[in-house]
Formats: sequence, structure tokens, C-alpha cells
Amino acid sequence: MSDLVLGISAYYHDSAAALVADGVPVAAAQEERFTRRRHDSAFPSRAVEYCLREAGADLGDVSAVAYYEDPKLKFRRVVSTFLGAAPRGFASFSATLPEWLSWKLDVATTLRRRLAELDAGPVPRIVIRRHHESHAASAFLPSPYESAAVLCIDGVGEWATTTLWHGRGNRLRQLAELRFPHSLGLLYSAFTYFCGFKVDSGEYKLMGLAPYGRPRYAHLIRERLIDLKPDGSFRLDMRYFEYLRGQVMTGRGFERLFDGPRRLPEGPLTEREFDLAASVQQVTEEVVLALARTARRVTGESRLCLAGGVALNCVANGKVIQEEVFDEVWIQPAAGDAGGALGAALVVASERGAPRAHLGTGRDGMSGSLLGPAYDDEAIGAYLDAEGIPYTRLEPDELARRVAAELARGRIAGWFQGRMEFGPRALGARSILGDPRDTGMQSEMNLKIKFRESFRPFAPSVLASDAKDYFDLKQDSPYMLVVAGVSAAQRIEAADTGGATGLDLLRVQRSTIPAVTHVDSSARVQTVTEHNNPAYHRLLAAFKEETGCPVLVNTSFNVRGEPIVNSPREAYACFMRTNIDLLAMGGFLLDKTAQPEWREENDWREAIPLD
Amino acid sequence: MRKVALLSAYYLVITPAGLLARVTRDPLRRRWNRRARTYWISTERP
Repeated sequence: MSDLVLGISAYYHDSAAALVADGVPVAAAQEERFTRRRHDSAFPSRAVEYCLREAGADLGDVSAVAYYEDPKLKFRRVVSTFLGAAPRGFASFSATLPEWLSWKLDVATTLRRRLAELDAGPVPRIVIRRHHESHAASAFLPSPYESAAVLCIDGVGEWATTTLWHGRGNRLRQLAELRFPHSLGLLYSAFTYFCGFKVDSGEYKLMGLAPYGRPRYAHLIRERLIDLKPDGSFRLDMRYFEYLRGQVMTGRGFERLFDGPRRLPEGPLTEREFDLAASVQQVTEEVVLALARTARRVTGESRLCLAGGVALNCVANGKVIQEEVFDEVWIQPAAGDAGGALGAALVVASERGAPRAHLGTGRDGMSGSLLGPAYDDEAIGAYLDAEGIPYTRLEPDELARRVAAELARGRIAGWFQGRMEFGPRALGARSILGDPRDTGMQSEMNLKIKFRESFRPFAPSVLASDAKDYFDLKQDSPYMLVVAGVSAAQRIEAADTGGATGLDLLRVQRSTIPAVTHVDSSARVQTVTEHNNPAYHRLLAAFKEETGCPVLVNTSFNVRGEPIVNSPREAYACFMRTNIDLLAMGGFLLDKTAQPEWREENDWREAIPLD
Repeated sequence: MRKVALLSAYYLVITPAGLLARVTRDPLRRRWNRRARTYWISTERP
């Protein structure tokens, strides 16, 4: 039997489990997908059970359980923070100290107990790895590169907030780091909070908001908030931030600097928020570019691997690629803390002698990040029949043709195929799809399908072989983590903005694929190959045959605030609650017009908290 | 009871220790040094 290592990340946000067999990721999933609580931070019981089931193993078959961060080191940082903040910070101290002392500090015992409760065999030994080591391993070991520079940039784990590594073969050597409280991730989160979005999830909205604004606060950020050195290292001025002292990110210092109190959640968005978003985004890009240049200079490598929450900033990633700091960049699809579970397992597997078996194939070792549960046609059919749900059964080619034809008519489809994605993005396994040529699609999908803010952009999937005709993309982007400009050939020249500003910019048509062209004519691209996702590739090819356009709008299969759907039941509920017209689930096609009336006792929207 | 213990720990232990630490050194390395060339902390063993 293979040598199995189970990785776990938990107790902060986005708990996850990952299973590695002889160094190959074979299963990985976030706990939120099972418990249906977004960013669930609880011990990932369900994700662990799923990983074991996928491999047909129990805990007795697992050589080691790897935990993604070192709680003792983290606790020292927490105590140092209180030492640095006292006499302020008591509320935070009294809220966190008891849980630290009762179960968080000795996490190995806690994990052992929780694993034993699963009743899945004898609990193997628990190995603790460091937070950034887990990130670095998740970035480098599954990458297609024999050697590379590795950068991990996030909020904070134990002490490190930014780390630089050199990866060679199956070894990673750490070169340098920046430490808490100086953190690019926390700088970005502070602006996320100040603009009225949720920390640890609203960062994505802030990035989407940035192109609506002008970076008129960028100089203030550079002068007052961050001392950035030419080599990308930096310190923040902690007098402006509150996160050392308590549970909020910013206070009066920020208000004085940035024209008044923060925007309250769900309050109106004004020019100021657009400009704040544009400003912090610009500074973030400067820092990431400087860090990347240093990584290249120090390691002499021509390839870069990225992980950590800031590596989900696909606009900054796009800049690193655009500026050709490296010849190629590979980004871990689960770049946030969920990916730490995988990284920790990979480090341990590697130390146990596992090779990087994918090297030499030219591909990465992530299997398209399709590492979650799958439901075969037998399971889907059994569910549909038991519920009396009407459907049409189709062969794969016919299904792709039918869905493509319906999409071309302006209809919106739920696409539920194969194994669920690991990481925050939907990549064509649990996706909602639409026609990107449709000028009304962006607003339709935001307001009637996702029930979310109208400013939020949608992303395109494109056949990898056609990507260059549509986007100025210098390399593949299989995980939708790179933003690139829409190519000149697809842009509509001299698009008349009519002096529009802010959200009115949305109404200007800028390209032949307006639904996925952001107001700065950029797009967050996913390139799709037959190897990574054959079913989705087939659909894109059919859509191209039908319309000449190899691009689809791809957004995650959920509504605002809800985790991405995992099972057929969740997919069907999301289909019926929203204005999705069709649902293609395995070999089954469901048409909304043929469905019985959908009834729920309670208002489902009240049960899902806003994100 | 727990509240009293937490209050005492914070104001009788953490606070004086923290104030002292901040007078003698900068435990969180908060200060900027405009003249420094870098803030990187090397983690390589010599």
C-alpha cells in the first residue's frame, strides 16, 4: 500500500484536510463544503472522513498526521503582542487566553482526541510544521519546476508574514522572512475592514472594486503606513492599526488619514472606497513586484512559486507575469490557509522519501485541483429518481452540445461534473456558466443568480489553445489566479465612457466579451485543457463550435455567502432557488421549465449570512 | 473568579512586563529605520 500522510489545517479560518499518497495529492477539501458554514474553522472531521474514504483507507493506514502550523510558536507571538499593547488589549486577552490554555496550545492532544472521535482506526503520530513552511511546500512541491524561487505572503501564521525560499528537487531552504506585525496581508485586510467588507473574505471584493477608483491615497499609504525598501522588505506604522490591541483592524488614526469613519457593512459605496481600494491595490502590487525581484536576484532562479493569502491577489500576480520578473510563475490554487493542510502533508511525505513524481511530465502535481468528492451517474440518478426530479439523460458529447446551444441562446447553466475543486475558485466542476458576449449577463448573474453586489466582476474560462486570441496572457492560468488584459483584437476601440465614473463604468461595452471584461479592460482568466478537465473542455469546445467564441463566464456554484455546492442535493437547491435555467449534473440535464414548483418552509436567504 | 484571575494576570503581570520591555527594547520591532537598507531577517544558518 502507498505511504499515506494526512494534512490538517484548522482553528483559524478555512479548515481543510488533504491526503497525500507517496507524495501525490489524492484528496483534499475544505470543511465548509460539508458543514455548509462558509470559512468554517472547526476541526475538519468531515473533510478528514472524505479524504480517507477517497483512498479507501482508515487512520491505521496513515503514516503520520501533519498539522499546518506550530501553536507554541504562535502563542509566543500572541503573548508578545499583549506585552506590546498592554495596558490596552484586555478584552482581546480575556477572550483568547482561556482557549489557548485549554486546548489550542497543546494542539497535538486536541487533534488526537478529535481524530479518535472519528472512530476510524488507531490515530497515527502527529507532526507539527510551521505555517509558512506549509505554504512554501504547497507552492513548490506540486509545481512543475525542478527548482524555483518561492515566496509566501499572507496575514500572519506564527511570526512570519512574508517568507522567501529556494526550492530544489524535493528540498526547500528558507532564506529570509518578515515578521508580525509587519504584514502585507494585514495591510490589505485593514483596508478591507475600513471599506466595510469582512476581513478574511472581503479582500476579493476590494480587489474587484479597485479598477473603479483612482489611487489618490497611494502616496499617503507610502508616506504614513508603510516604509517600503527597494528590496521589497517593509514595516508598517502600527500607530495607525488596531490589530495589536483588539478585535478590529483600524481606528481613529485611519479615520483621520482617510477622510472620516469607515464605511459600515452594506452601506453605500462612494468614490472614497473606490479610491481607497485602488490605492491599497497599487501599493500591494509595488510590494509584490519588489519582493519578486528580490526573490529572483537572491535565488538566481527563472521560475517563481507563490502561496499565502496574498497570492490570491490575481491582479498582483498578473503584474509579476506582465513585468516578466520571472520566465514563469506557478501559484498554488489553494493559496490560503486551506492549502496549508496539503503543504504540511507534502513536507512530511517528502521527508519520508516521496519523490515528486510529476516532474518531467511538464505538468503540475495538483490534478487540476479537482481533489474533492465526485458523484457518479449512479449516485446522481438515484438522488433524482428518489426525489421525482424530471431530467433528460445524455451522452457526454450530446450533453456538451445541448448545454452549449442553450448558453448561446442566453440561458444560464449550472455545471456539476466530476470531483469538486480544492481551493476558493470554481474551475468548471461546480460552476455557474453563461455567455460572455451578452452585455446584460454581468448584471443578470450578479443580481438574479448570485444575489450579490452589482460591482463584482465575473471571470472567463477559455480554451487554453485559444487564450492568446482573447487575452494578453504570457502563460497558462489553470487556476484562475492571474489577471490579464483583454487582447486588442477583442477590444472595442475608443469605447465611449460618456464621462462615466464609479459604478456607471459598468455600462460601457469594452470588448466582444463584455460580461467578463472588467472596467479596466482586464479579466481574471482560467485556461482550460483537455488534460485538466475533459468535461469542461468538451463544453468550451462545443460552445466555440456553436458560436465561434471559446470563452464562457465561469462563477462558483453558490449564492452570496454560501460555500460552493458539494452534493447533487445542494446543487439542485441552488438551481431551484435562483434564476439558473439549466442544470447539467453528470450525464443528466435538468431544465427549469420542466421542474415541479420549489417549496421551502423558511426563507433560505435569511439562513445564509452575508459574506 | 476567572475574570479576576485574567484581570490580575493582565494588569499585574503582562502590563508591567510589557511596559518594561518597551522601555528597554522594541519587542515587536515596530520602529521604522528610514536609513536601513532592508528589513529582511535572514533565516539562513551561517
